[in-house]
Amino acid sequence: MRTKLILSVIGTFWFIVVSQAQEISKGDVFIKNAHVITITNGLLEHTDVLVENGIISKIGSGLKEPKGVPVVDASGQFLMPGIIDAHSHLALEVINEASSPITAEVKMEDVIDPFDVGIYRALAGGTTVSHAMHGSANAIGGQNITLKHRYGTRDPDQLIMEEAPRTIKFALGENPIRVHGRGKNLQPRSRMGVEAVIRNGFEEALQYKAAWEDWNASEKGKEKPQIPPVYNSRLETLVDILEGEIIIHCHSYRADEIYMLIKVCQAYGIDKIVFSHVNEGFKVAPELAKYTMGASVFADWWAYKFEVYYSTAYNAAILTKNGVVTSINSDSDELIRHLYHEAAKTQRYGGLTDDEALALITINPAKQLGIDKLVGSIEVGKQADLVLFDKHPLSIYAIPQMTWVDGVKYFDREKDASDQRLKVDPEETLEPIFLHTEHHNCMRDVDFYFTGFGRNLFGHSH
Amino acid sequence: MRANNLLSSISFIYLCFLFPAFLFGQSDRNGDRRVTGTYYISNATLIPYPGKILTGQQLLFENGVIKALGKNIDIPAEAQEIKGDSLLVYPGFIDVANKTGMVEPTIPEKPDDFDPSEPLPEIAGIHPHFSAVDHYQENNPHDQEWRKLGFTIAQKLPKGKGMLPGSSALVIYGHESRNNILSENQSLYFKFSTVGGVYPNTNLGVMAKWRDLMQNARLYETHGEMYSAQSSLRRRENNPVMDALIPVINKEIPVIIETSGELDIRRAIKMQEENNFDLIITGINEGDGLLPILKEKKTSAVLTLDLPDDKFSDPPEGEKGPDFEKRVERAKNAYFKSLSLAGEYEKAGIPFGFTTKHLSRTDFIKNIRLMIANGLSEKGALAALTVNAAEILQISAIAGTLSEGKMANMVLMSDTLFSEEAKVVMVISDGYLFDYSEKAEKIKDGARVWEYEAETEGRKSKGKWKFTKEDDNWSGTVSYDDPQTEGVKTSPIKNAVITEKSLAFTFSVEVGENTLEVKVSGEVTGEKFSGNMEIKGYGNYPVKAKRLEKPEIK
Repeated sequence: MRTKLILSVIGTFWFIVVSQAQEISKGDVFIKNAHVITITNGLLEHTDVLVENGIISKIGSGLKEPKGVPVVDASGQFLMPGIIDAHSHLALEVINEASSPITAEVKMEDVIDPFDVGIYRALAGGTTVSHAMHGSANAIGGQNITLKHRYGTRDPDQLIMEEAPRTIKFALGENPIRVHGRGKNLQPRSRMGVEAVIRNGFEEALQYKAAWEDWNASEKGKEKPQIPPVYNSRLETLVDILEGEIIIHCHSYRADEIYMLIKVCQAYGIDKIVFSHVNEGFKVAPELAKYTMGASVFADWWAYKFEVYYSTAYNAAILTKNGVVTSINSDSDELIRHLYHEAAKTQRYGGLTDDEALALITINPAKQLGIDKLVGSIEVGKQADLVLFDKHPLSIYAIPQMTWVDGVKYFDREKDASDQRLKVDPEETLEPIFLHTEHHNCMRDVDFYFTGFGRNLFGHSH
Repeated sequence: MRANNLLSSISFIYLCFLFPAFLFGQSDRNGDRRVTGTYYISNATLIPYPGKILTGQQLLFENGVIKALGKNIDIPAEAQEIKGDSLLVYPGFIDVANKTGMVEPTIPEKPDDFDPSEPLPEIAGIHPHFSAVDHYQENNPHDQEWRKLGFTIAQKLPKGKGMLPGSSALVIYGHESRNNILSENQSLYFKFSTVGGVYPNTNLGVMAKWRDLMQNARLYETHGEMYSAQSSLRRRENNPVMDALIPVINKEIPVIIETSGELDIRRAIKMQEENNFDLIITGINEGDGLLPILKEKKTSAVLTLDLPDDKFSDPPEGEKGPDFEKRVERAKNAYFKSLSLAGEYEKAGIPFGFTTKHLSRTDFIKNIRLMIANGLSEKGALAALTVNAAEILQISAIAGTLSEGKMANMVLMSDTLFSEEAKVVMVISDGYLFDYSEKAEKIKDGARVWEYEAETEGRKSKGKWKFTKEDDNWSGTVSYDDPQTEGVKTSPIKNAVITEKSLAFTFSVEVGENTLEVKVSGEVTGEKFSGNMEIKGYGNYPVKAKRLEKPEIK
């Protein structure tokens, strides 16, 4: 009876925490006696972690239980930092603005969908941060947004990780060529065209910057000898890339095009670039290590179109051993639920250590998103995005038990209700719940450009 | 393809249950019987504004303006009396964000070397310089039908597929001999939609494009100011899109943003925060969590009267899994939450108007009653239709209440507004009298009326069959929704064969240049009919009908 009462009180409290989301919720929790996988400081046995106001405040053995803070006895269980997905399209209403080869002006923060139940599913797989990206239809796509999975809020802005730096999507190879060249008879129609589109974009941005500098300088005098330039947020954004304010995350497969973009970036003095997918990255691993912020790859996914045949499951391991900051991403609302399995594959293919394998889904993606000072490892002072596994997360038998973001518990396997939807259609008495939702992917929202032949030929996802 | 269109068109069929009398003969629905511009309503109960009731009143109006109201007012000799005994007089209703009678503007053809990444603004659905007035069919039959329900003023939004279809206009549902445009360029209409296949193609592009347009409208204005002060500068090329946006950045006109969900509402608020314009949000159908924000920002709110369909009165069929009850319960709660939204707005103290966009006329009073049954006060409902709408449209000086000096727009009801029995007896619009008080034709002895429901291509269609017998021959009419407009249409029944146990007939439906031949046949068991509707060349669809014991026609 007593337990029942306590449980119901906890249930109510949980509901309040989730529903009051006007201010970003930050929680306190004391996790006792866990195997703590810190990522940056090895595995700590029988260790307690104290979280206060969303921040990890103490890590140690035999810490004093603070009063009024929820306690989780994690004896025998494994605590690791929340998993970070550097390439995702989760929780987005729209993915591609596929109507122009450059759409640097569009912002994924305008189309965040907090009602996407996929966020909860990701939490159930221990993923606490995802990089919500524009698709790969355009050579230069839109500005991405880094999300924290604070599921339960109805306010899209509450999902934004405010501290994360700006990032932007670029895409090389077949996708932009197909959408614009083949689909609409525009540039780019070849890999050379993709390079030209990007270079022309940067050149225009430089002219744009000069025009505004002229205008702003002339404003000091009373009589302005010239008229104001036209405002263009597309070029404005490209200027910001040239000035190092935005990290490029570039969809790419082939070694030649990867190296091409490295050269283009060097020509324009850009050093903030991460390559995504990078199936042929192993061929240019030293270059990636030297000139980029790293590579974000699939564990073992390829051959879904011509440019993705020359691939290997050893890619992540080869890149890691060559000193490339490497991550494994999902690019899928389904894969995002078990990125720890994807990381484990690098032990089978390449023999990475536990720390190396787990770094692929924690601190390394954090580095690629520019948030490694805040998340990605269990350290005092970092944000308390944590996941508790019953077994070692690289074991195929491991199951996430609880997931916290900013010290607030958003997933608890014990209290996992069958219906986690935030929003219900009033006209659907039996809203279909799909076990396999349509994969969010790089090429969603571009379908209308293709019919018949084109669609069949390119009926794949990435 | 065409077949599908036709089918889906005719499947919108529904019928006027609440005001069947309107379908029948009236002597002066167009207000033509005018012999003077001066009228007075005698001995009526006035509801001059929501919450106030005055009995035994007289109200004098002349040339479209209310001159006086009270118990003892001077009535000029030429004034014609409208007997108000037992009638209740309400201010005329005001519809916000309505599109009936609007026609789609002509868009330039795409050139041969068309580049979808840089389309002409008009091709991209960006034509804020188009005016609703230029594309409005005055005195169209839909507006006349809405007038029968009590509407006297409406804000007309221009049609168009993209994000900026143009500027709205205010019109009077007045007499056809007059020019009934009250004002144009009244607000700028914005919606989260695109033409498709060109930039902007999604909400991503729409949001970015809007930011650029706002910023460039400011620069355009600066350029204009500079050029008028300093003619040696490069001239400013005339740009109608920019010209149309300048009143927005200068807060001379508001932006009316159409939304279809709470994420749209949040985007609208974000747009307003970024560019600081006057904002009206229309189409509101959810998002009670946003009330504090809307209240704080004093945003003008317009709720849709188009409520979700009731899917709960008839429990859904099919196999019921373990979570069936819970899921039905959640959907039901969501349904009732939609119905209570207006009440929540009222409770929060946010004045709001109503829009009838997407609403079928038969649902108008029905849906308001649903809102009232779920927390909205009658006073609040009337305010939404009158004073609040006038406030939102900035016409409080001339409309929204019954008071001296305001336009003579009013609704004369037989009973308390929103009550089951209430009927619109007369509508006065712009001082013109539209009399809907005529009694409908008596139903002849032996007449039979059936209420039917058919299912075509997954859609439900409703209507009535009315049969009368003359010299052993059955004739009559079948009612259905007009496939091309929003009205109810009827066709004559042909080849009717009626026996105790069966019923069969045919009728034709005109759809554009095509004629659909429809054959209905089936079995009768007591008061129930069950059979088949064959649309020649398209297929067979099940029909059920119920015979009305007492036809509602009075």
